[in-house]
Amino acid sequence: MKRSFDAIVIGAGPAGSSAALTLAKAGLDVALLERGSYPGEKNMFGGVLHRLTALEEHFPEFWNQAPLERHIVKKSLTFLTEESSFNVNFDTQASDRTPYNGYTVYRPRFDRWLADEAVKAGAKLYCGCTVEDLLKDGARITGVKVMRDGGEIKAPVVIAADGVLSFTAKKAGLRRPAFDPAQMAVGVKALIDLPKEVIDDRFGLVRDQGASNELVGCTQGVRGGGFLYTNYDSLSIGLVMHLGSLSESGKTPYDLLNAFMEQPQMAKLLKGGKLLEYSAHLVPEGGYDMIPETHGDGILVAGDAAALCIVTGLNLEGINLATHSGMLAGKAAIEAHQRKDFSKQSLSCYRRMLENSYVMQDLKLYRRTPHMLHNDRIYTQYPELLCGIMDEIYRIDGTPKDTMTKLLMRAVKEKIGLKNMLADVYSGWRAL
Amino acid sequence: MKINVDEIFDVTSFNIDREPHIVLDTQVCVGCDQRGCTNSCPARCYTWSEEDQKMTFVYDGCLECGTCYVVCRQNAFTRWSYPRGGFGVSFRMT
Repeated sequence: MKRSFDAIVIGAGPAGSSAALTLAKAGLDVALLERGSYPGEKNMFGGVLHRLTALEEHFPEFWNQAPLERHIVKKSLTFLTEESSFNVNFDTQASDRTPYNGYTVYRPRFDRWLADEAVKAGAKLYCGCTVEDLLKDGARITGVKVMRDGGEIKAPVVIAADGVLSFTAKKAGLRRPAFDPAQMAVGVKALIDLPKEVIDDRFGLVRDQGASNELVGCTQGVRGGGFLYTNYDSLSIGLVMHLGSLSESGKTPYDLLNAFMEQPQMAKLLKGGKLLEYSAHLVPEGGYDMIPETHGDGILVAGDAAALCIVTGLNLEGINLATHSGMLAGKAAIEAHQRKDFSKQSLSCYRRMLENSYVMQDLKLYRRTPHMLHNDRIYTQYPELLCGIMDEIYRIDGTPKDTMTKLLMRAVKEKIGLKNMLADVYSGWRAL
Repeated sequence: MKINVDEIFDVTSFNIDREPHIVLDTQVCVGCDQRGCTNSCPARCYTWSEEDQKMTFVYDGCLECGTCYVVCRQNAFTRWSYPRGGFGVSFRMT
């Protein structure tokens, strides 16, 4: 391995590979370091790959080039209790036309493809390369120390795209030394093998159409939610749970996931499937208030490492923010090379680019959402309220019916309390 | 369908390093009143025995998620890093 580069990117995930691709295309000599045996080996997500406008600059017909599973045409939100489900469904032809609005993907395939594209552009990819420490000259980052052979690699600028725990951002003094469990969530996921035709039938899909489903009420009171996505010939099902709440609950992620998969309405969708893989990963859910310092002397932070993630309960965004921030970090490093100045001051152009993009603007917009989601009523009472009301509306048992208003008021009083409900509506309104 | 987390090696692939990437000072766990790691770890790497007042930690099936690192309120780790390159969990399709 060479010992000196124009830039080092730590982590060949979506943020890192986008940064490396941007740098390599500008003719800079960039090392892309990945701790897995291949890019994506350590990555998982329970999500939809949204439109990646940053990557569309490099890949005009992205959907014809990237290894995607299905494009999402159906989006649903489900309120689940132990025996009922209440479903809100959005199905639009507009999502069935290019440019598609979102896809399901396998991360080991997708991340490997993106890293390979960076390599084609001239980046040098080193797999099996865990970064152990940063090299410093005073406060300035000058390179990295690699775990395997104790080797040192130098560059005037390092881009930390090493994921949610970002030990590099910590070593550079950019993030707080300890995480707040209230700002983190753990996702656990089961990948279920099912034939394509079965998936098409069960979810009402044709060709490469896909469905995504977010669920509330499937976590036995632990703050969090469930997801179910269709891949080409498998399903991804899992839970995302706030760590603080999970830890205090005494419940385990796998027991909760098992109960979720055995809930009758879910079990029908999974029937006949075979478990292919079980995985877990952390999600930085703290939003804008969790973002560390995004740059320092000789260092930039991108993607999950910078906690760039939006969770609203309806949408989960991460990879789009990661690729965009990675590309901007690459551009900032290129500008710094032109100025031959890698100081914190010079690299602050990265922060300005982030602020001017949808990345920071959306994170700011949803700044209050993480707080709103720290409301235990959402995770049991509301799903029960909704399913209870639907049950009363549809049930015919010979007793006279109440008006809808009476029905609603009684259910709200019994299950939630009017004052709480008004407070929740207000807080939801402000947050979203 | 059910996930049996004790049979994690049947469904998820690992290349286990003999050198542990996480080292726990189990003495610290004795004085902990929460032990959030025991229930929060998605791979059940932590087991607390009430009878022996002892914490057992096995890193073989570690999914490298970092849950224990975040929920531990006692700073009980003498080492918490990712495995050396090429070792640890290997997600193939997820």
